[in-house]
Amino acid sequence: MSLGRLLAVARKELLQLRRDRLTLAMMAVLPVVQLLLFGYAINTDVRHTPTVVLDDDHGARGRSFVRSMEATGFYDIVGHVRDHGELATALRAGRAKVGVVIPAGFGADVARGTPARLQLIVDGSDPQTVASATNTAASLAASWGSDLAVERLQRQGMRAPAPAIRLEPLTWYNPDLRTATFIVPGLVGVILTMTMVMLTAMAITRERERGTLEQLIVSPVRPIELVAGKILPYILIGYVQMSLVLGVGHLAFHVPIVGSLALLYALAALFIAANLALGLTFSTVAQTQQQAMQMSFFFLLPNILLSGFMFPWEAMPRPVQMLSQALPLTHFLRIVRGITLKGATWPEVRVEVLWLAGVLAWFTLVASVRFRKKLG
Amino acid sequence: MSDDIIVAEGLARSFGELVAVRDVSFRVRRGEIFGVLGPNGAGKSTTIRMLCGILDPTGGRGTVVGHDIAKEPEAIKARIGYMTQRFSLYEDLSVRENLDFYAGIYGLSRARRTARIDEVLDRTGLRARTKQLSGTLSGGWKQRVALACATLHEPPLLFLDEPTAGVDPVSRRDFWEQIHRLAAAGTTVLVTTHYMDEAERCHRLSFIFRGAVLDVGTPDEIVERRGLDVCEMRVDEATRAADLLRAAPEVDEVAHYGHVIRVSVRNADAVAVARRTLDAAGLAIGRCERARATVEDAFVSMVREEGAARA
Repeated sequence: MSLGRLLAVARKELLQLRRDRLTLAMMAVLPVVQLLLFGYAINTDVRHTPTVVLDDDHGARGRSFVRSMEATGFYDIVGHVRDHGELATALRAGRAKVGVVIPAGFGADVARGTPARLQLIVDGSDPQTVASATNTAASLAASWGSDLAVERLQRQGMRAPAPAIRLEPLTWYNPDLRTATFIVPGLVGVILTMTMVMLTAMAITRERERGTLEQLIVSPVRPIELVAGKILPYILIGYVQMSLVLGVGHLAFHVPIVGSLALLYALAALFIAANLALGLTFSTVAQTQQQAMQMSFFFLLPNILLSGFMFPWEAMPRPVQMLSQALPLTHFLRIVRGITLKGATWPEVRVEVLWLAGVLAWFTLVASVRFRKKLG
Repeated sequence: MSDDIIVAEGLARSFGELVAVRDVSFRVRRGEIFGVLGPNGAGKSTTIRMLCGILDPTGGRGTVVGHDIAKEPEAIKARIGYMTQRFSLYEDLSVRENLDFYAGIYGLSRARRTARIDEVLDRTGLRARTKQLSGTLSGGWKQRVALACATLHEPPLLFLDEPTAGVDPVSRRDFWEQIHRLAAAGTTVLVTTHYMDEAERCHRLSFIFRGAVLDVGTPDEIVERRGLDVCEMRVDEATRAADLLRAAPEVDEVAHYGHVIRVSVRNADAVAVARRTLDAAGLAIGRCERARATVEDAFVSMVREEGAARA
């Protein structure tokens, strides 16, 4: 292997990149735009759910319960309906996602001390709302219930017994449950996956398309020199993108960086290399730049869906979990979230690093077997 | 080492069902300009690619600069220059950057690189254009840059695959001057072409048709072996005269050149045959002169015969 030839390729690639202003701008703008989009627009906290009320009781107790529902900030009362038919229409039209039904006699039951009934109707077509909508209302009803019981006991001159178990929930690492804190570190991985795979896949197919690959194949340059020389400039770009996302995320979204940046940057090299090897594998299959681009996009989707970037990995069925272990992003997500949010150190991320190294070795093997200096 | 820098023996290559090269054998001597002539799709490029070691033959064997093409392709690659009709330059790089890049991948030392690039820039007249992006050069200039890139490392053997396709006649002439200069300095050149005037500029030729060699030799030898006698004549009703001549069994080929028709006859007297045929039809013949048979005449004659035999 000759370092001179490798550097000649890297230098040429950098020169071409410098001339390709559009691609260069995309490399810098894309991460920031995605960051702002994901950071501001995506919010998985369910709040302000539009809610309609069907009040057949017309009593003070019922109105008071509705007010305390509104006070949670979770339900926005968008109107009152007169019967179940109107309630159904409101849900179907999407005007409301939750309906609260206060049956006639609710106030009287509460006053009498017999179990009072409330009905909560939730639009299940959006599963994310259902759990939060029911849980919030249920805990509200429970606390109302116990308040009423205490009130009743006190009226009878008795002291309420202390609860047998008191749960004290503590949320570590992201106590305010901010989506940005969760999303931004993951976005580093997603953006690197997207650009690194696509750039390498296209860098080789571009030469194939323009006929320059044939000229290279006839030269004494070895595949490893060609591949490494082409990849080198993109590793640099990868690091710039990563710094951009982490930096902007830290400044604009106050995403904490608790752990060691040095460790993160060192391990990122492994992740970037794995993606580049994958892009290279694509380029040995794709004949045109367009095909290379399509393959990269097809690859991106399962990465976003299965890696744990958006949906909890733990909730996936077993076979899908096994599949997602083959994606470099799955492991890098755990590393990047672990280090930035929880301050994880080497022993805690070691398993993920091993996985990444394995995936990298596998892709490198496939790419080098497929990438031969032959035509036809 | 033998004097033959290229030895091809029964080379063959198929792509699945398609047979691109059926049976190609020839020897190229050191320092000569060897032309591989053939129509489009005859298997010229495939042959060149096998000789460069970038395409494995499916049959036959070959050695180039003393190395086996199937077993030691990398040893060959360091000792050859290669240029295709597409002028594989990086269009988004300047002339100088292209030269620097190829100097780099051929492993030229810094001192040699500077010297060689200087030399090439002076020889080709590219010095004024070093900063120009090669994509904005005209065809002729691109060709010069491509040739400069392919010869930077001073290879003893140069492969040129249809190097003048799509280049204007003046640039083609200049290009051939450069080729002869390289050959005079000791470089062996193997060039494919389907331009007949270029074929005559080669020291020796190989005719390839449908993946097989029809003949190998100097242009004169090939023409002579074909035994063609050619005459050019002025006649009235040139089209009718041409049709009559084509129908005559001795006549090999009839072609129009403006007001003149050119008649070639195999192993017979062209003038006599033409006169006899046209006199019988009562057509008056104007001026009639014997002409020199060219490589093109020989080539067309061979291809027609081969085509008829296989049809």
